[in-house]
Amino acid sequence: MVICPNCQHKEISGAIFCSKCGAQLVDMNVATHKINTAERRAAEGITGGLKSSPPSTLQSWLSLHIVESGQILPLADRTEFTLGRMAEGQPIVPDVDLSPYNAYANGVSRLHSAIKLVNNQVVILDLGSSNGTYLNGTRLSPYVEMPVRDGDIAYLGKLKIQLLISA
Amino acid sequence: MAKKQDYYSQLSIGRDATAEEIRQAYFEAARRLHPDKNVAPGETELFIDVQEAYEVLSNPKKRARYDAILPSEKTPLLPVEQRILFSRSNLLHLDEPQLLYALLEFSPKADASQSPAPPLNICLVIDRSTSMQGKNMDVVKSTAIQIARKLKAHDYFSLVAFSDRAESILPAERGADAKKSEARIQMIQCSGGTEIFSGLEMGYNEVLRNQRNSSSNHIILLTDGRTYGDEEKCLDLARKAAEKGISIRGLGIGSEWNDVFLDELASLTGGSSMYISRPQDIQRILLEQINQLNMSVVEETCLEFIIPEGTELHYAFRIAPNPSLLPMESPIRLGPVLKDNNLQVLMEFVVQSAGENETVTLLDGKISVTSNNLETKTVSFPLKLKRPVKNEHSKEPPAPEIVSALSKLTLYRMQEQVRLEVTAGEYDRAAEHLQRLATQLLARGERGLARTALLEAEQISQKKSFSQEGQKEIKYGTRSLLISGERKQYGDLP
Repeated sequence: MVICPNCQHKEISGAIFCSKCGAQLVDMNVATHKINTAERRAAEGITGGLKSSPPSTLQSWLSLHIVESGQILPLADRTEFTLGRMAEGQPIVPDVDLSPYNAYANGVSRLHSAIKLVNNQVVILDLGSSNGTYLNGTRLSPYVEMPVRDGDIAYLGKLKIQLLISA
Repeated sequence: MAKKQDYYSQLSIGRDATAEEIRQAYFEAARRLHPDKNVAPGETELFIDVQEAYEVLSNPKKRARYDAILPSEKTPLLPVEQRILFSRSNLLHLDEPQLLYALLEFSPKADASQSPAPPLNICLVIDRSTSMQGKNMDVVKSTAIQIARKLKAHDYFSLVAFSDRAESILPAERGADAKKSEARIQMIQCSGGTEIFSGLEMGYNEVLRNQRNSSSNHIILLTDGRTYGDEEKCLDLARKAAEKGISIRGLGIGSEWNDVFLDELASLTGGSSMYISRPQDIQRILLEQINQLNMSVVEETCLEFIIPEGTELHYAFRIAPNPSLLPMESPIRLGPVLKDNNLQVLMEFVVQSAGENETVTLLDGKISVTSNNLETKTVSFPLKLKRPVKNEHSKEPPAPEIVSALSKLTLYRMQEQVRLEVTAGEYDRAAEHLQRLATQLLARGERGLARTALLEAEQISQKKSFSQEGQKEIKYGTRSLLISGERKQYGDLP
């Protein structure tokens, strides 16, 4: 017997989704915390110093797991990141460029959301994006910080990202 | 260099050998090939190969992993490759029921995709009841003319119109006078009710008359209404058609038709039903279907099976192409394999109780593949689904393909549950269930569908019933979530 953490519905052992509320019952175990610095694709386009910097005092505190492609982007070295999509001939550049992950097709704005580390609590906020930022299914009001737990699912438009907190 | 043999043939055993058989075979081979004993040159290498084979096959975990990547035995013959994934590599030693999912996948081989599709033998069976009058019929007529123009010279095309009785508008023939045919299509008048059986039977006879060994045979049924009293006769005819290798696809226009019936009718033959909410979509969907018929590598995949005692096939669903609920009785027609789309079928098994250290057989049967690419037309091979029982779950998460398919299928099944609850008179539960479905839909960014679900939830609490339209929209809407990515556009016919 499995009990759905979301609606307490009882499911037969071996179920993967709750038939009552549709919640996923199985942990996909994607939270790999071993991160290879060479694969910091997200870091491209951020300040050059970031890639070459040795393991600094501020370790990678958050990883973005792009659910569709399965890639994991570790974020490190600062306490605030803006997420968005780089567009040609545009002065504003997000810290994390999501365009390699179909950001355009998924309706990600150029400056979509920001993720911050405030007093050891990770928060996410929407930066007035056109298609909205959703945390666990709820749309965030623009510029309002929402606390994030490890494993939470955020949607930037339709781009699904799981937030893995390692700090 | 000769292709390396698989581990099973190295030990000269069948794929379904038991642990004991594997052990025996290994000892026998090892005695013969041991470096101290062997005589012929090269046998020491064989000995190493045998050891390697035994190492993998004697370890159930490694064996399961190896089986999963092992191409099916008749690979060289088939135009498709088969793959089987399970949600768990083993069952739990448990006294209560447990679920296990299996995903069957057939993908076309590269060389098979090159070969031309077989000649088509299609009959379009059109509902011309009074309700079709106007835009619906206009679009249907113009699409029928387009299809007639675009089919190739070796294809057979026939057209039947029906209301209370059926009339053959275009008998099946090749290279008919195009002008005459078009005039005949234009002259179809709308009147009367909807009696599907009369139309279906005439369509069936048209297709049967021109069935050739090499042709790919289909009936496309277009209707906007309910048929009364002849459902059973229709279903019997569908079974007969399936045996003859004729598939039926059902296209329902508007909100009045009986989707449960059309679904059942089509799925008996490996086809599926589709919902057309607006007349302007008729043309696109109909042409898409015809195009799909031209894309088949395998015309029909059929699964015959028995389920052993203690196990139950609880649910079977074709994920792609044309997502559709499948009947759960043997034989199941799984449908065609298309050039650009793998055939994926998800099965849910319930195992009542699993004893320690046994191997539970979930399904024992065979798959028959019918394809023009095959010399013998049809090839069958055995399919046996079984899993070992252990005390603990493996650490691996379920195959991502299964989880991804289930994440969407769960929504479709929630909708099915709601229907059952409405039928059973449990309106509050149904409404609550629909609201939960809406939440999930919102989380996926399906705002329009979520709104429909919420409206229907309200409708159910107030009026104690679904609206015809909303019910279909939710059913086919959640179903189309399974069509991965953006809707595939097939473009024009070649």
